[in-house]
Amino acid sequence: MQSYPSEHREIVSALVDGRFVIYPNPTFVSLKLQEEEYREFFTQSYGYELVIDSEIAYLTSTEGTEKRTRDFVLFLALLCRELDYSGKNFRDAIEVGVFDMAETEQMLRQSSKCEVLEKTSVANFEDFISTWHRKNVLFRAEGQFKFTKAVKIFFDFAVNVANAKLKEAEAV
Amino acid sequence: MSNLNLSGKEILRFLNTHYEFVHSAFAAGKPHFMIDADKFMRLLHDYNAKNESKISLYRLTSEVKFCRQLSTGEYKLNRNYIPFLEYLFNDFVLNLPETLKNRYQAVFNHFTALKTETTGFRVVLLAQEIINVIEDFLSDIEGQTQRLLRDTEALKVNVGNHSAFSTRIQRANFWIDEYIIPLNGILDKERADSIVNVIIQLQQYSNERRLLSDNYELKLEFEKLYACAVNAKSELDKTLSKLTRELLPLLERIKSDSIILNGFYHFVENIDDPKAYVAALPHIVRRTKSSVTSKAFAAEAEFYIDQFSYLTPEILFNESDEDIEWLPDAAFFKEQLLKDDGVKDFYKWCLTSLEEQTENITLSKFFTLSNMLLDEDLVIEYKDEKRYEIKLADATLLMPKIKVYAKLSK
Repeated sequence: MQSYPSEHREIVSALVDGRFVIYPNPTFVSLKLQEEEYREFFTQSYGYELVIDSEIAYLTSTEGTEKRTRDFVLFLALLCRELDYSGKNFRDAIEVGVFDMAETEQMLRQSSKCEVLEKTSVANFEDFISTWHRKNVLFRAEGQFKFTKAVKIFFDFAVNVANAKLKEAEAV
Repeated sequence: MSNLNLSGKEILRFLNTHYEFVHSAFAAGKPHFMIDADKFMRLLHDYNAKNESKISLYRLTSEVKFCRQLSTGEYKLNRNYIPFLEYLFNDFVLNLPETLKNRYQAVFNHFTALKTETTGFRVVLLAQEIINVIEDFLSDIEGQTQRLLRDTEALKVNVGNHSAFSTRIQRANFWIDEYIIPLNGILDKERADSIVNVIIQLQQYSNERRLLSDNYELKLEFEKLYACAVNAKSELDKTLSKLTRELLPLLERIKSDSIILNGFYHFVENIDDPKAYVAALPHIVRRTKSSVTSKAFAAEAEFYIDQFSYLTPEILFNESDEDIEWLPDAAFFKEQLLKDDGVKDFYKWCLTSLEEQTENITLSKFFTLSNMLLDEDLVIEYKDEKRYEIKLADATLLMPKIKVYAKLSK
């Protein structure tokens, strides 16, 4: 790498910390401008892969499955399910809505799938929300939280699962 | 006594009195409006059991001619009732876009004929026919769009169980491919064979003819045709906007939302068996504390540093070397002085006595000794004003010659 942008330290510490860097944060812009160099940098220095699209950037590693990610997808899946059941447009709610912490926890507790959450990090709801707040996947303030654009990678995951299942069904 | 001929009032009275029956027969017959004999008789029986005002099969089939029995046994609703009932119940059966295309074909054929027709009488007939077909077409397309919108809304909230997601996706796909895209094609004015295009041409043509015709009757007829075309154009624009700006995005949305929910459903169902949900979870890196050094190095470094941690800090006081100066014992020298029974030159005696005992005679040593002059039991005699030098290590004194001896009483 020839030269580092002034936000270099911020970029590296955020990404290596497992945080998402999201547009319009200036660090995202710097990162995007030197996308290829950073891709190389993270592969060579840490063995991580930089995933970056037009709005979000994060690092992935090939070391085993991260249980916390699984827990988060589970939480999101059940939240979407409950929102959909209550006749709300779940995607609008997730993408632009603000959630009350207590109400959301209550909503999940009422779900018939609630027992699955008990064994995961979601059970300690406050800590769980704080963890994902640190990662920039959601933003927490005063008993409320809202999702950031990073949530779309989990929707993409769901689409991949559905498509894979569809292919499986077609093959049968 | 009832009229022998079927009257409109009688039909309306029948529809009004037996509205619930008509509605249930309509709902049961959709979309072909044919009902199995058993089912039809059960409907009739149930209705009669619950209502005071009964209906006979004879009244249905022969008097109001609501339906007739086919040779195969089924009851078929009278076609004349259906459009009105669809309108009444605001429940339109979806026609395939092909049906709508036929109407386009009819308008197109009549219009082509109209342009070449020279007989006034035929022109009027063709113009009236075009107006009728366009009105039918508008009413069809309005009903269809409403139906699609309502079904789409229903599809959106149809969340009975999660396995219905794949049905939702299929349904959304079907409507998009089979209805909306073809309907769009029929209504797209960019396409030469679209009905909107024919209507635009019709509008221009009738506009010219209504202004240029010298026959008053034709003028009037083209006036109507022009108004019909203008109205049709604006109605179709509205429908197109509903289809492309509301319905299509809504269906696409239902499709993509259902895909997401479907994916999540499979994920949750197979939560303990990651292989079963096929796609890989995003592997977001874990939070790492020491980023630059390896964990092993950090541990070793910590261990090494810990070796020193048991030492308590040493505090060193920097003490200055303080020489304690030897000072003569005044009592000892006084005793000497009294033994000598007085001295003639006290200061010289002091110096000599000190020189016998120590080296390096300083001012402080000298004064310690000379201070005995102040003792009350000594007498001092002082006569000569002449002074002489006494050289000490750190000073030179000019002293007088004084005589000192003990008091007589002593």
